[in-house]
Formats: sequence, C-alpha cells, structure tokens
Amino acid sequence: MAAKTDVYVDTGALIAFADASDSFHTLFRRLFAQPPRLLTTTLVLAEGHGWFLRRFDTTRALQFLAMAQAMTPLRVQSVGSSEQRAAVALLRRFSDQPLTLADAVGLHVMETNRVRSCWSTDRHMALTGVPLVIHEH
Amino acid sequence: MIRTQISLSEQEYEAAKREAERLGISLAELLRRSLRAIVPPEAGPPWMRYAGMVSSGDARASQSVDDVVYGRKD
Repeated sequence: MAAKTDVYVDTGALIAFADASDSFHTLFRRLFAQPPRLLTTTLVLAEGHGWFLRRFDTTRALQFLAMAQAMTPLRVQSVGSSEQRAAVALLRRFSDQPLTLADAVGLHVMETNRVRSCWSTDRHMALTGVPLVIHEH
Repeated sequence: MIRTQISLSEQEYEAAKREAERLGISLAELLRRSLRAIVPPEAGPPWMRYAGMVSSGDARASQSVDDVVYGRKD
C-alpha cells in the first residue's frame, strides 16, 4: 500500500503559484508557504515545463523545474505502465470529458495514495470526488 | 492585492509612464516588477523565492494550461 499523502498538486496550482498575474496566485502562495505532504507526477512537471516554454522561454522553463526541485515536501511519482493502464481506463470511463492523460494519471494516483485534497484550478480533477482546494477557500 | 499610495516627482512619473507604455503594461505593473527586482526574496522555505516569479498578464493562466500546452481545438 502506498504511503498516505495529504494533497495532490496539479499543474494549475504550480502555475498559479509561479504567476503573479493569476487570480489564484494569492491562495496558492499562502498554501505553498506552509504545505502539508504533497504529491504530483512527472506528467504534471512536463505540462508545467511545457507551459513555461510556450509562454516564456527556456530560462523560465528551467526555473520552473528548479522550483519543483526546491519544493522538498513535494514527492514526484513516476508514471510507468501500470499508472498508464489505470489512466487509460479512467479516460475511457470519463470519455465525455476532455481529460488529458496527465489529468487521468493524477486521478489514479490520488486514489491509490488516498489523497484527501487536490490543489488544482481544473474542475476535471474533482471527477472522482476528491475536493478541490479552490472550492474550500 | 494591497492598495497603497506613493509620491513621485514629475520627472519620475513621466519616465515611468513612458517605460510602461513601451512595455505595454500599466504603471502599477511596472512598479510591481521594479519592486520584485529590487526587494530581496521573502524569508521562508527555499521554494518561496519562486512565488510570483513571472507575470503573464493573464488572470486565467492556471485555468488555460491545456490550451497553451496542447493547443486550442479549432
């Protein structure tokens, strides 16, 4: 059984934390200042890195990765074939929703890690019943 | 956001307005960026120095990640 984790961190939470213009910046700045045990996946980091590449440049994209490395309470789970299989099953189950593979892997790891809260700005991350922090604050 | 009032000389004000126009941002945003460049990172955990490290100008940035990363559907 996987270790219990308090919170799953989705791409939007990391972007909101890093982007001072974002309407959720203040919330995530406060949350990340004193975080509980955090969990994310390599796919989330890939999305965040891609966002910085598209919106800014390679320097900012590397800074994003440095930020994730500096966040010592954040555990980054690798995505292997078992996570991929489970995520594909979720994509089929929610095929009426525009879920990405990164979203589906996130939904799967939240379930297997018994996560109690999701730091995300994407309503799709609430599909399996884990509450989104933006609805609690 | 906290609202505050500052006093500038006419020369500083005009120079700041010109620079803001050149960058296509508001005077307030120019002053925020200037402050971020000058004020040392806040105390706290090491990752907090990255809080607000960019300013995209998009209040919905975190809600449109998929559009940026994967592209918008035509």
